[in-house]
Amino acid sequence: MLSFLARRLAGLAVTLLATALVVFVVLEILPGDPAAVILGVSATPETVAALRTEFGLDLPAPERFLRWVGGLLTGDLGTSYGYRVPVAQLIGERLQVTLPLAFAAILLATLVGVPLGMLAASRPRSLRDAGVMVFAQAGLALPDFWVGILLVLAFAIGLHWLPSGGFPGWDAGLGPALASLILPVIALALPQAAILARVTRSATLEALQEDWVRTARAKGLGAAATLYRHVLRNALVPVVTMLGVRFSFMIAGAIIIEDVFSLPGLGRLMFQAIGQHDIIVVKDLVVVFAALVVVINFLVDIAYGIVDPRLRRRA
Amino acid sequence: MGFAWYRHPGLVVGGAIALALMAIAALGFVWTPFDPTRLALPDRLQGPSALHWLGTDHLGRDTVARLMVGAGNSLKVGLLSVALGLVAGTALGTWAASRNGSLLDEAVMRTNDFVLAFPAVLTAVMMVHLIGPGAANAILAIAVFNVPVFARLARSAALQVRSRDFVLAARAAGLTETRIAIAHILPNMAGLLVVQATIQFAIAILAEAGLSYLGLGTQPPAPSWGRMLYEARTYMQTQPWLAIFPGAAIALTVLGFNLLGDGLRDLVDPRARRART
Amino acid sequence: MPYRRSVLLAALVAGGIASPALAQDKSQVVLCQTLEPTVLDPTAGAAQAIREVTYGNIFEGLVAIDRAGKIVPKLAESWQISADNLVYTFKLKSGVTFHDGTPFTSADVKYSLERAVAPDSKNAQKWIFTPIASIETPDAATVKVTLKQVAANFLYGLAWGDAIIVSEKTAAANATTPVGTGPYKLDKWTRGDRLSLVAVDGWWGGKPAIARATFRFINDPQAQLAAIQSGDCDALTNFGAAEALPTLKADKRLTVTIGKTEGETIIAMNNGKKPLDDLRVRRAIAHAVDRNQVNLGAINGTGTPIGSHFSPAQPGYVDLTGRYPYDPAKAKALLAEAGYASGFELTLKVPPPAYARRSSEIVAAMLGEVGIRVSIENVEFPQWLDRVFKNKDYDLTIISHTEPLDINIYARPDYYFNYKSQAFVDLMKKVDAAVDDKSRLALYGDAQKMLAEDSVNVFLFVLPKVTVSKASLTGMWADWPLPATPLTDLAWQ
Repeated sequence: MLSFLARRLAGLAVTLLATALVVFVVLEILPGDPAAVILGVSATPETVAALRTEFGLDLPAPERFLRWVGGLLTGDLGTSYGYRVPVAQLIGERLQVTLPLAFAAILLATLVGVPLGMLAASRPRSLRDAGVMVFAQAGLALPDFWVGILLVLAFAIGLHWLPSGGFPGWDAGLGPALASLILPVIALALPQAAILARVTRSATLEALQEDWVRTARAKGLGAAATLYRHVLRNALVPVVTMLGVRFSFMIAGAIIIEDVFSLPGLGRLMFQAIGQHDIIVVKDLVVVFAALVVVINFLVDIAYGIVDPRLRRRA
Repeated sequence: MGFAWYRHPGLVVGGAIALALMAIAALGFVWTPFDPTRLALPDRLQGPSALHWLGTDHLGRDTVARLMVGAGNSLKVGLLSVALGLVAGTALGTWAASRNGSLLDEAVMRTNDFVLAFPAVLTAVMMVHLIGPGAANAILAIAVFNVPVFARLARSAALQVRSRDFVLAARAAGLTETRIAIAHILPNMAGLLVVQATIQFAIAILAEAGLSYLGLGTQPPAPSWGRMLYEARTYMQTQPWLAIFPGAAIALTVLGFNLLGDGLRDLVDPRARRART
Repeated sequence: MPYRRSVLLAALVAGGIASPALAQDKSQVVLCQTLEPTVLDPTAGAAQAIREVTYGNIFEGLVAIDRAGKIVPKLAESWQISADNLVYTFKLKSGVTFHDGTPFTSADVKYSLERAVAPDSKNAQKWIFTPIASIETPDAATVKVTLKQVAANFLYGLAWGDAIIVSEKTAAANATTPVGTGPYKLDKWTRGDRLSLVAVDGWWGGKPAIARATFRFINDPQAQLAAIQSGDCDALTNFGAAEALPTLKADKRLTVTIGKTEGETIIAMNNGKKPLDDLRVRRAIAHAVDRNQVNLGAINGTGTPIGSHFSPAQPGYVDLTGRYPYDPAKAKALLAEAGYASGFELTLKVPPPAYARRSSEIVAAMLGEVGIRVSIENVEFPQWLDRVFKNKDYDLTIISHTEPLDINIYARPDYYFNYKSQAFVDLMKKVDAAVDDKSRLALYGDAQKMLAEDSVNVFLFVLPKVTVSKASLTGMWADWPLPATPLTDLAWQ
């Protein structure tokens, strides 16, 4: 177990360092200068040079790389060129939107998708199954940004039930904050619910085929009890995998949804930072995302062990 | 023994949608009712009529013509990005399988896992920013995500096939690894790859729409569904058809190829078929 | 009933969101704008958004520009200009304090101006201050600025956001915690979404009607439209979806004004690159572009057409829109004369603003009609600055030059147009030295004509200032002599 952990941690370190190097080199090649962006088209070259010096951008690239990575190791993400505040603070502020958004969307997707999948699997090829599958296909096919726009049209402009976008901040009160997340959560959750419904359905069907389920049935265990005691746990393995993958997607993949709803999340911070060539923010975000992905993968592996005793024994 | 079409409604419907789309795209290459890029500002923002079946956009361009040519562009991006990913991924996966258990294999698969787990939108956006927006670069960015999908599939399929008798026999007969891969391993996993390619194709269409929506995909004046959606947003209340038709086109295409992929999987993969029945 | 149910649901779900039916709180206002300022110090960046939030609200200069574009007193109560136009003596207002309680004196003026002109200055408009030779402070309420040479636009420049007066004690931190002399101070900033300003006690100008203002930043035109229609925004400046204006105009709850800005939108041409170095080719391109159609297709006809690099809102404007009438046949003839009868290929590099992206498609189609095959290349702003602006690696680009009275950029050595005209440089020197209005305006007229004759760029239109506000909100600026949203002008009816 310890050697397993050590190997995973070493892998994590290598992955993150490689990511850091790649993103640094990529941003070195990308033309652009944060100082020029800030000062605009009237500034003299000397003014731009003065700002570059203040940012430390006139240092040689290897030195800047070492300083940056050195800072990361001590937990210092540096200061944003654009906002002039610590990047850690910026990311922290954005996480207050992105994390609840991702959690709520995953939760909603799970609450809708998993029961639907099991419902469909409980009677394959029935009308119920067909209905769930139609929902799943539709959910997969509709672009989420398109769904988002339609939701705004219906519920913000048409019915005035919910705000059209923006995020008032949590200290504006729980009500307004949650209200501004409802529509984006639905738009984000729909395709995820569709994917989960499909995965759950096929996993449940497979589990139902397993010998021990048949044995349990033959022994006279009721259908509901069988489903709960034997099938659910086995079917959960692929579902948990899917949840892990989807969650890291949600954290960063909501860029377009955040744009549609003007939500100040991590994805939009990334877009904005690229647009202003605030490269320190871009670099940090990529490393943070990479770290998230690696950690979530790790957690998913552990979750496997919990839901599937067979895997635990094997490990 | 005939093939019972009615037992595979998804396959039939999906196949029909895919074929129809290809036909429309092909027609769009040689004929469209109007020039899809020619401006006609006096005719801007017209509703559906006998002349312009689906109306005109903010520059007076015919929606039908733009959808037709847009179909070609979407299919092109989908096809090329999947083909690139398929070729590179299969080669990589088969190669990794031939060195199963080595450090190289481990490194390839770890990188694979990482790319698979890393948010695709984010990397695509970064990549396109670096190499510049445009259809060719969108194809490249989407292909990057198809590589690990096919690599993983090819590796596990190759590992299974490699342990079978005919491969062992071929190796005993002195065939090189490359020849074994081409003559024995590839044909045995072709079915699985085709199924996966169909599903990846649907994903690629969505990805292209997303990138174009962000202005990073197919560049104007060439029509693209994602871009048409983007341009239509501000007309949603007054000219809703502008946004409805490209959105519907994307959804229909993705639906068609997903259904086709699922149907093909049932045919190819007996385990999945068992699960369905 | 759907309406009752919606109110109920809104109350249940949203709990506390102001529904449009509720009475308007007359001490508060929510203003929506497209871009977020990344800092709140106008001396630390060129972004228009910084000025929209801070100009006249947090920070004040010696003088200011009013809504009509006139120079008016602000922290300087009055001023005198010497007969040789080299010495400016400002009499400062008394009883003014910074937000941190420090009294405002002539030392602050001296510090602010010297900081802006220092060798390591990061001021985006350093040209305003470079004519300064010395600054004296005979007493706490008097500042005497001596110039090296006559600079006709010196006072005008002092009215810009770049010339606000800061306190030495707090200047370094103004980017994130601004301390000025204005009627408002920063209350709270949710970066990426909104910030709020609150009125300060004891501002020299009295107590403004609006006690608290929230600026919201909404980039997406669809989201802007949704926000104004749902009543989330009390006013919206620089509305991005011009085509939705007829719908909004028909809405009785809203007022729509379409004013002028100083943003000359041009198709910039690389005058130093073949075949654009040929005057006939540049004139052909000017004839091939129908600016009214571009105006209509890109911004729904809300722009004001221009024929040279000058805003119609400025005195001294000369209408040159008739110089190159839309005439594809003539364009083709000119191209043939220049030896390009079969056309040629150009790239058009387009920065992100919607007006540029939309214009690009129309321009490409129009140039295609006369045989110029244009390929569009969309670029992000940093890459535009690097490739087009700095390295001049481009054929054509579309951009709006938003600074007021910036015709002098054509006299800059090595500017990205690659327009090298000694005659124009000399003309600009004369403008700087021309202190009486009449001769200066005449010289501006000559300059506009020279740019049009040389067909340096294709001059399209000045950007509109589109403001949508609730009908009961008064005081929003209709025009934009410079980017600003002074809150003291606002009031609810």
